[in-house]
Amino acid sequence: MTTQTVRRRRRSPTAIAAQAGIYVILIGIAILVLIPMFWVYATAFKNRIEIAATPLAWPKEPTLQNFVDAWVKGRLGKYFLNSVIVTIPIVAFTVSFASLAGYAFARHTFAGRNAIFYLFLVGLILPFQSIMIPLYYTLLNFGLLGTYWAMIVPSTALGLPFGIFIMRAFFQGLPYELSDAARVDGCNEFGVFWRVVLPLAKPGMITLSIFVFLNAWNSFLLPLLYLQREALRPLVVGLMFFQSRYTTDYALTMAGATIVSLPVLILYAIFQRQFIQGLTAGALKG
Amino acid sequence: MTTSSVTSAPGAGRSSTVQTGFRKWLRTNIPSYLFILPALLLYAVFVLYPFVNTIYYSLTDWDGAQPVKNFIGLANFARLIQDPLMWLSLKHNLIWIAVGTLTPVVVGLVVATLVSGGGVRGRVVFRTIYFMPVVLAGVVVGMVWSWIYHPLFGPINTVLKAVGLGGLARGWLGDLNLALYALLLAAFWAYWGFCFVILLAALQNVDMELHDAAKIDGANPFQRFMNVTVPQLRPVLTMLTAYTLIGGFNVFDIVYIMTKGGPANATEVLATYTYHMAFKQNQVAYGATLTLVITVLSMLASYTFITLRERGNVGEV
Repeated sequence: MTTQTVRRRRRSPTAIAAQAGIYVILIGIAILVLIPMFWVYATAFKNRIEIAATPLAWPKEPTLQNFVDAWVKGRLGKYFLNSVIVTIPIVAFTVSFASLAGYAFARHTFAGRNAIFYLFLVGLILPFQSIMIPLYYTLLNFGLLGTYWAMIVPSTALGLPFGIFIMRAFFQGLPYELSDAARVDGCNEFGVFWRVVLPLAKPGMITLSIFVFLNAWNSFLLPLLYLQREALRPLVVGLMFFQSRYTTDYALTMAGATIVSLPVLILYAIFQRQFIQGLTAGALKG
Repeated sequence: MTTSSVTSAPGAGRSSTVQTGFRKWLRTNIPSYLFILPALLLYAVFVLYPFVNTIYYSLTDWDGAQPVKNFIGLANFARLIQDPLMWLSLKHNLIWIAVGTLTPVVVGLVVATLVSGGGVRGRVVFRTIYFMPVVLAGVVVGMVWSWIYHPLFGPINTVLKAVGLGGLARGWLGDLNLALYALLLAAFWAYWGFCFVILLAALQNVDMELHDAAKIDGANPFQRFMNVTVPQLRPVLTMLTAYTLIGGFNVFDIVYIMTKGGPANATEVLATYTYHMAFKQNQVAYGATLTLVITVLSMLASYTFITLRERGNVGEV
C-alpha cells in the first residue's frame, strides 16, 4: 500500500513548499506521539535527585537500579511470569475453539446453525461489565477463584464470539475444492478440518492470536476482580498496585511502566503489520 | 456464497445406506455439533449464564454474602432513576463519547489525508509510529499521563514554567473542571492512531478518477476533499464512529488508574461507579442494576455498528 500510482515529475516551487510543510506536520505529530513514552523511559533511568532537578532532560548518569528494584522488590518479575502463564492458554484455547466453531459455522449446514451463531453474536456486543458481577460467583462456585483459571476460563469464553466471527469469515473465503476432494478420498470431517482447511487458515489464526494475546496481556479489570491473590497477579495489575504503593517514587514507577510496555512495543516494532491487522480486524472485516 | 450448496450437509447424498429420518439427522448434525461444543459450553456457562444472573440480581436486594436473595421487584431501578451519582456518571460518559469520538475520528481523517496525498514517502514509518500507543495497556497509558500531568515534576508544568507561563501550571488531574478533559486527552493520544490507520486504508480505495474529474472541473483541494473524498468514506466514518461510541460507555482502565473517579466525582463514569458500588461497598444487586445501564447503552450502539457493517465491506489494511 505504500506504492504510489501517481507521481508527478515536474514540480513548481509552491508545490515543493507545500510538500515540505506536510512533512513538517507529519514529523511534528510523530514527535508528539513518541514524546510521552520518551519521558517515561528517560525518567526510568534517572535517580531521584536528577528527576527533581532536571525532569525533562536526558539522564546524565543512567542507572539500571530502578529496573532491578522494580523487578525484584516490586515483584514485577513474578508478575511477568504470571502474565505469561495466563496468556499462553488463553491464546491457545481461544484460537482452537474459535477455529473449530468458526469452521462449522462457515462450512457446515446443520439444524440450529443460525440460531446458535446469533447467540454468539450477542456476546460480540456484550460489554464485560454486563457479566462481571455474577461471573465472580460463578467462578467461586466452580472453585476457580484463587487459581490462574479464574482468568484463563472467562477470558477465553469472552474472546470466543469475536474469534468465531473472524475465523468464520476467514473459512468462508477459502476454496471448497480441496476439502471436497479430501472427502471423496474418504477423509472424515475432522480430518478435512485438521489436514486440509486448517493449514490454509494460518493467516487468520495469526491475526486472531495477536488480537487475543494483546487483549489478555493488557487486560486490567478482569484480573483485578478475579485474580485478587497477590501471588497470581498479572503484570498490568501488579503495576497498578506497585504504583499505588510507591506513589512518590517516580523513578521506580516509571521503571515499572517501562518493564510492562517495552516488551509489547518491541514485539510491535517487529510485527507491526500483523499487529495492525489483528487490532483493526474487528472494525474492518465483516 | 455460490458454492455453499455443494458442501451443504457433509456426508449427506454420498451415503448409499438406507437410513431412517432421525438417524440421518444425527449423522449429518452430530459432527457439526462436536465442532461447536467446546466453544458453546464455555460461552454458555461463563458468559450467557452470568448475564442472565445480572438481570436476576438486579431484581433482588442481595449484598453478596447473604444465603438468600430477596426478590424486591423494580426497587433497584427506582433507586437508579433517583441516584444523582448515576446521572452524573452518565453525563461524564456522554461527554467522553462526544469528545472522545469526534476528535480522534476528525484528526485521524485529516492526518490520513495528508499522509495519502501524492508523493509522501515513508508511509509505513508514520503508520507504525502513529499506531504505537494503541498497543499499550490502559494502565500504562494512565501511568504515563499521570506523570505528564504531575503538578511538581510533570513535563507540562515544567515546560509552562520554563516559557514564563507558570501561572497556567496546575494540578491538572485535581482540577474539578479540567480533570475529565485531561483524561480525554490521554485517551485521545492512545486511540487516535486506530482511527488514522482505518481511514488511511479506506483512502486507498477512494476512486481517483472522480478526483481527477473534479480537478478538471476546477474544484480546489478542499472542495475535492469535502465533495469527493468524504462522501466515499461515509460508510467507514459511520462505522468508526459507532465503534468508538461503544468503547465510550464502558471506559474504565484510564479513569481508574489516573483519578479513580475523583476529585469529588468529577471524573466518575458508569464503570468506575459500578465497580465502587459492587466490589467496594458490596451493593451487589444495585451494582448489577448499574451494569444493566452500561449494557443497554452499549448494546444499542453496537447494534447500530453491526447493522452498518453488514451493509458494506469496508476494505483491508
